[in-house]
Amino acid sequence: MNFKHKYLFLFPGLLVLIGILIFPVGFTVRLSMSSWDSFFPGLDYVGLENYFRLFQDDSRFWEAFGRLSFLSVTTVTLQYVLGFALALMVWKDIAFKRFFRVLFLIPMMTTPVIMTVIWKTFFHESLGPVNDFLNIFGWNPLWLSSEILSKVTVIIVEVWQWTPFMFLLLLAGLLSLPKEPYLAASIDGAGPYRTFIYVTFPLMAPISIGAIIIRLIEASKIMDTVYVLTSGGPGTATETSSFYIFIKGLREFQFGYSAALSFTYLIIMIISLTIIAKVLVRLMIRE
Amino acid sequence: MAKIELKNVAHSYSPDVENPEYALKKCNLSWKDGGRYAVLGPSGCGKTTMLNIMSGLVTPSEGTIKFDGVDITNMSTAERNIAQVFQFPVIYNTMTVAQNLGFPLLCRNYPKEVITKKVDQVAQTLGLENLLNLRATKLTADQKQLISLGRGLVREDVAAILMDEPLTVIDPDLKFRLRRRLKEINELYKSTLIYVTHDQNEAMTFAENILVMDHGKIVQVGTPLELFERPKTTFVGYFIGSPAMNMLKAEIKGKNVVSIGDTSFKTGTDLSKVKSKNIKLGIRSEFVELHDKNADNCISVKIDKVDDFGNFQLVSARHGMSPIKAKVSRDLAVPAGDAWMKFPDNRCCVYSNEVLV
Repeated sequence: MNFKHKYLFLFPGLLVLIGILIFPVGFTVRLSMSSWDSFFPGLDYVGLENYFRLFQDDSRFWEAFGRLSFLSVTTVTLQYVLGFALALMVWKDIAFKRFFRVLFLIPMMTTPVIMTVIWKTFFHESLGPVNDFLNIFGWNPLWLSSEILSKVTVIIVEVWQWTPFMFLLLLAGLLSLPKEPYLAASIDGAGPYRTFIYVTFPLMAPISIGAIIIRLIEASKIMDTVYVLTSGGPGTATETSSFYIFIKGLREFQFGYSAALSFTYLIIMIISLTIIAKVLVRLMIRE
Repeated sequence: MAKIELKNVAHSYSPDVENPEYALKKCNLSWKDGGRYAVLGPSGCGKTTMLNIMSGLVTPSEGTIKFDGVDITNMSTAERNIAQVFQFPVIYNTMTVAQNLGFPLLCRNYPKEVITKKVDQVAQTLGLENLLNLRATKLTADQKQLISLGRGLVREDVAAILMDEPLTVIDPDLKFRLRRRLKEINELYKSTLIYVTHDQNEAMTFAENILVMDHGKIVQVGTPLELFERPKTTFVGYFIGSPAMNMLKAEIKGKNVVSIGDTSFKTGTDLSKVKSKNIKLGIRSEFVELHDKNADNCISVKIDKVDDFGNFQLVSARHGMSPIKAKVSRDLAVPAGDAWMKFPDNRCCVYSNEVLV
């Protein structure tokens, strides 16, 4: 395979790759070593100063990162459990199977930002219908302005929005499972519980891992929900990494510093998702 | 262990439509306790349907099934106490070999000591005793298939072990050994084995009794020898034996005489009651004799081709337009061109309307 012109043919693809991936990442790295902000715009060189600032005295970023980890792990776990349950429900022959399958997908088809606005109205502490109802029992929970409840609200909205995605992937997985293991299990006398533990779950492990990883990647980008629902508040109670980076970069215009944040965030995500994927494979497939 | 009886059993996968198509046509059968059976037939002839009806994975649309006289038609698979081995090995991936083998007992709440004892015993029979603590996913395909089988053997009281083409995924050498193992198991445990296959060699070497099916109908039940020497229909003649039975259009000429063109043949069959015009003379290529002179029961043929198979020669010849094949000893010098073939009268099978007279 010594074909002289191969680079010529690879060149356009490489050009696109450089334009949309390699250059932006490289530029971010370079930018992160500058002090570019709205007062002193320009690509100067300050070495690793931004990184020292990040690692030494920016606890807000690390708190945001911790919050993000908590939110994404919680939402994805809930989505997985609910999605799996819903998928199992409409997997077997039940009445109105088609209707339920479509119904469960609707949240995913809606626009996240708009749905979040609706959820925000829903959870509005003095005007929303949720508290209208809870007032009957004399409760008035602060859905959006309590430090703990605001996280719960974000989780509810995220779970509502993205469980259908999990449901879709897991249902597709269930529908593609072979029949024989189930026949064998029923011949061996396994009840529904044992059948699930020893047949369905192990067979679904590969697709589960795929679905969980996809959702984790998506969930760690969480931004629109937080932006619309709480704007990271109260205080920084629901502020996540991407939202914090957004504040630093596009509100305070500290481009240099936010580039350092972005790059650090990228590295951490790559490493942690790789580890998570490995752990999941170890836990669920156990070969 | 049980005697299995099928009474007027028939099954259609869509019984509600007008003129339903039956995957299994009405049949009455009884399987002897401890017998070794093969169900043989081409793909789509209803073998698997029959098996699934017995194991309870399919409820027949008509008829009843009895185990030892007890009607079990509507019982679930677990209650029937039957074991089934599928075409592809089914193992529980997360378990070890020992856990896999013990699973049917675990599901039936046997005490732990009993399970361990039975598992050890079965592992020994199957030659898996060194693999017991290995995770089942690490095994080869044939070992996995042994586990599938072993799960049927751990329960002493299984009514029958049903096997649906269990050796398809296994290479020929192991196939032979596993088949022998199965025979030994049958003798040891005296369990009824029912083996579905489309491979006649497998059926012939494995079973005491073979059930040949075609288009949802049971065509013939018999020992391998019966199927070979006296196939009940032309289908069985074609399907069993390699090459297929020679079938020649014939006419009845007397009490036990038929003719093919101008040549008359004496047969061992009384033909005085046969009315039909659709008559065929069938003879196995193994029984056809090759001669260079005309004699009784001989037909003139033109030899097209001789294939040397090492242990025999297969002579392909023609009488007019009808092909005749003969298996002859490899020492025999086969004449080129014209020759005579003799059909010994006791080997001739006469078929009227495709059914043996």
